[in-house]
Amino acid sequence: MDNTNIKSLDNLKLNEVGKVLRVFHSNFNLLKRLLDMGLTKNVFVKITKLAPFKNPVSVAFRGYEIVLRKQDIKNIIVEVIK
Amino acid sequence: MNIALVGNQNCGKTTLFNALTGSNQKVGNWAGVTVEKKTGIIKGTSHTLIDLPGIYSLTPYTAEEAISRNYILIEKPDLIINLIDATCLERSLYLTTQLLQQNCNIIIALNMCENLQKKGQVVDENKLQNILKVPCIKINALNNENLPNLVNLINKNMQEKNNINIYSNDIENLINKITDYFTPKISKFCAIEILENYTKINKYNTLILNDNIKTSATKGDKNKVKSTKKECFLSKIFNKNTYNTQTKNENILIENKHNREIDNNTNLIINNKTYKFNNLKSKYINKNQKKLFKKLKLFKIDKNNNENNLYDVPTFNYNLIESDIISLQKNYTLDICHILAFLRYDFIENVLTKCLTKTTPPPKQTLTTTQKLDKIFLNKFLAIPIFIFFMALMYFLSVGVIGKYSSSAIASGFNGLSCLAEAKLSNIGVNKIIISLLCNGIIAGVGSVLNFVPQLIILFLYISLLETTGYMSRISFILDNFFNKIGLSGKSLIPFIVGSGCSVPAIMSTRTIEDSNEKQTAIILTPFIPCSAKLPIISLFVGFFFGSSWLVTTLIYIFSILLIIICAYFIRKFILPSFNNSLIFELPEYKKPSFKYVLKDVTQKTTSFIKRAGSTILICSVIVWFLVSFNWKLQYDTNIQNSILASIGNLLSWVFYPFLGTFSWGATVSALQGLIAKEQVISSMTIIAGISENGGNLIFSPNGVFGFFTPVTALAFLVFNLFSAPCFSAITTMKKELGSTKKTIIAVTFQIITALIIANLVTLFGNLIVNIF
Repeated sequence: MDNTNIKSLDNLKLNEVGKVLRVFHSNFNLLKRLLDMGLTKNVFVKITKLAPFKNPVSVAFRGYEIVLRKQDIKNIIVEVIK
Repeated sequence: MNIALVGNQNCGKTTLFNALTGSNQKVGNWAGVTVEKKTGIIKGTSHTLIDLPGIYSLTPYTAEEAISRNYILIEKPDLIINLIDATCLERSLYLTTQLLQQNCNIIIALNMCENLQKKGQVVDENKLQNILKVPCIKINALNNENLPNLVNLINKNMQEKNNINIYSNDIENLINKITDYFTPKISKFCAIEILENYTKINKYNTLILNDNIKTSATKGDKNKVKSTKKECFLSKIFNKNTYNTQTKNENILIENKHNREIDNNTNLIINNKTYKFNNLKSKYINKNQKKLFKKLKLFKIDKNNNENNLYDVPTFNYNLIESDIISLQKNYTLDICHILAFLRYDFIENVLTKCLTKTTPPPKQTLTTTQKLDKIFLNKFLAIPIFIFFMALMYFLSVGVIGKYSSSAIASGFNGLSCLAEAKLSNIGVNKIIISLLCNGIIAGVGSVLNFVPQLIILFLYISLLETTGYMSRISFILDNFFNKIGLSGKSLIPFIVGSGCSVPAIMSTRTIEDSNEKQTAIILTPFIPCSAKLPIISLFVGFFFGSSWLVTTLIYIFSILLIIICAYFIRKFILPSFNNSLIFELPEYKKPSFKYVLKDVTQKTTSFIKRAGSTILICSVIVWFLVSFNWKLQYDTNIQNSILASIGNLLSWVFYPFLGTFSWGATVSALQGLIAKEQVISSMTIIAGISENGGNLIFSPNGVFGFFTPVTALAFLVFNLFSAPCFSAITTMKKELGSTKKTIIAVTFQIITALIIANLVTLFGNLIVNIF
């Protein structure tokens, strides 16, 4: 298996689709919020927008978009699908 | 019957609330418009409807979400209307899965189904009803579609209760096990919360630790080297597990899991050194906190952000179920709180495969309107210029175009009405004092404020459009990176923009900021944004001294932003720092603003301004007129210098001497009245100027009370009025949101001192510049 397929979400390129393997965050409240909002295992995510200076980013999953900072998604592990 | 309206943020709850109760609550297209619970009576019934702030789950993240949680869990409504945005079915139903566990009747109302249809899908509400065993109904809150049927459903008051199993058997068993430990039994929902909190209590994970150490490495200098070492080591584990392993994903995760189990024992032995992981984070944070406590004792750091979380999860000895949890975590290769979320979504996905049908082939891969607009508004290079353009346009239109007329009308003194009335009344032979009260007091005072209504309408219209189209969240998105650098987040921008209308709702909107220190900073700084009541002051001074230049106005606005940036940086760095600075908010789709609501919103704001002119300003005008016209012996005195107000003003005029360059009682008392309402400054100045000069026609006429103003001192006085303490209603709101009188006093003192410093600097540098040229 090609291990370059596995990245952290902040390394996902614009409009690249990834499948979430793991969601982590040191702040439990935010972790819980991410899970509640549907960023769970096996969900397909896509980075659809970058703010000027490439941070924060807009992440699309389950049919809607949320804005997250790159430092908050560096511990979300995704497998690149396409 | 108490009926609660519950649903995700921005799914149309308040729109439905307005439609059902006929009230006129504020709506907008961004998450967090409603920050308070609001009640109303459903038309044609006796049921009370409660509009709650939007939530994604019953776990609160911010203060306003805690309001909803507490209402549902503690006050327990008789019926919950779960409003669901059909375009986001999965996420919306997640909340439903939690609500279904409450001992409460639920009606599911599917909103915005027509938008789902546009996406080529249709949801079968009957199937959904059969699976979830609660009544489901399609509605359209905006067009009042199907609302009578919803009211009928409410009146039916069904008592059907069926527990549906959302989780897998092993989890359900574990939940039952927990409930059995308590006598009396706790609710299922409570047991689930206990399970979820297991993850919170057990700081478990190497990846998470990796993150923590990085944070503490940047914060604690002394331990930097030490922690960096650990960081290297930990990142090795991280790399090994996620990047360099040649095995399959699942194995990676199991290995991750393995590490976590070691961490559960809190110690990890490497190279004969024991690393205590559990205590790591708390140790560093405590050190930092101690330092910060020393720095400023007045603003305490809130240790947990859940201060509003009244509904407490009972304490539970996790040792009783630890083995169960660990085996579950092993089976799923996920943490327990992750498993629960995962299973809920799994359940929802299963439900939706049965209920969702595709009507048309999926739409072609053309860009939606939102995507097209975002291509422009969120363009890498254009985004910020477009934002600046929009803000400049707002001031260009309201102050530049419209303001020119209103400020010239007021600056040229008393409008025709006043003179006409004076002439007419003296012809009839009315008492001189009464004529003066009417013309110089009431007409001048109230009229001067009412002059600004046209330009305020423009301002309100503009803000209303910003709020309803969905651009507001985009502003947060564009500028977050920049605001992050000064210690605020994009979310703090919303109060600043709302604040250009009025500080009161703006300060309340800070509730959506999750970090309490960042929230307090935003509360303190929001009044720095020139609100609509300050616009007349700007208009008057800029109109007279700078020829109504929209450029000067925009510069003042930019200056206030700069001031906020500097103060925010200072406050966040030294007084109210935070450790977790994360950001999360939803980016809504653009919506065509509803003409009806924009109109209502603008009318409401404008009428409230006019009402204030007719009540507060009117009373103040009469008082000011009295104080100006009478001396201490309570005799009508035409020499204004002998008046009561003059002597009061003279007492305090030293405060303004440094930057005005003269002891002006008139300016002093006018600025003081800004505390009542900012537009009262103008009203007061008009009255004083009017009485002081018999038949005079200029507020700033050279030999009048305010004749001493030069462009520089005018600017300094203007700046003082903009940045000093806001009006009483804003101060009250600040107190409510800061939650302490002490903090409020500090905040207001800070604002006044800042205003004094800035005003003095303006005079200092202004005079320097004037002298050079």
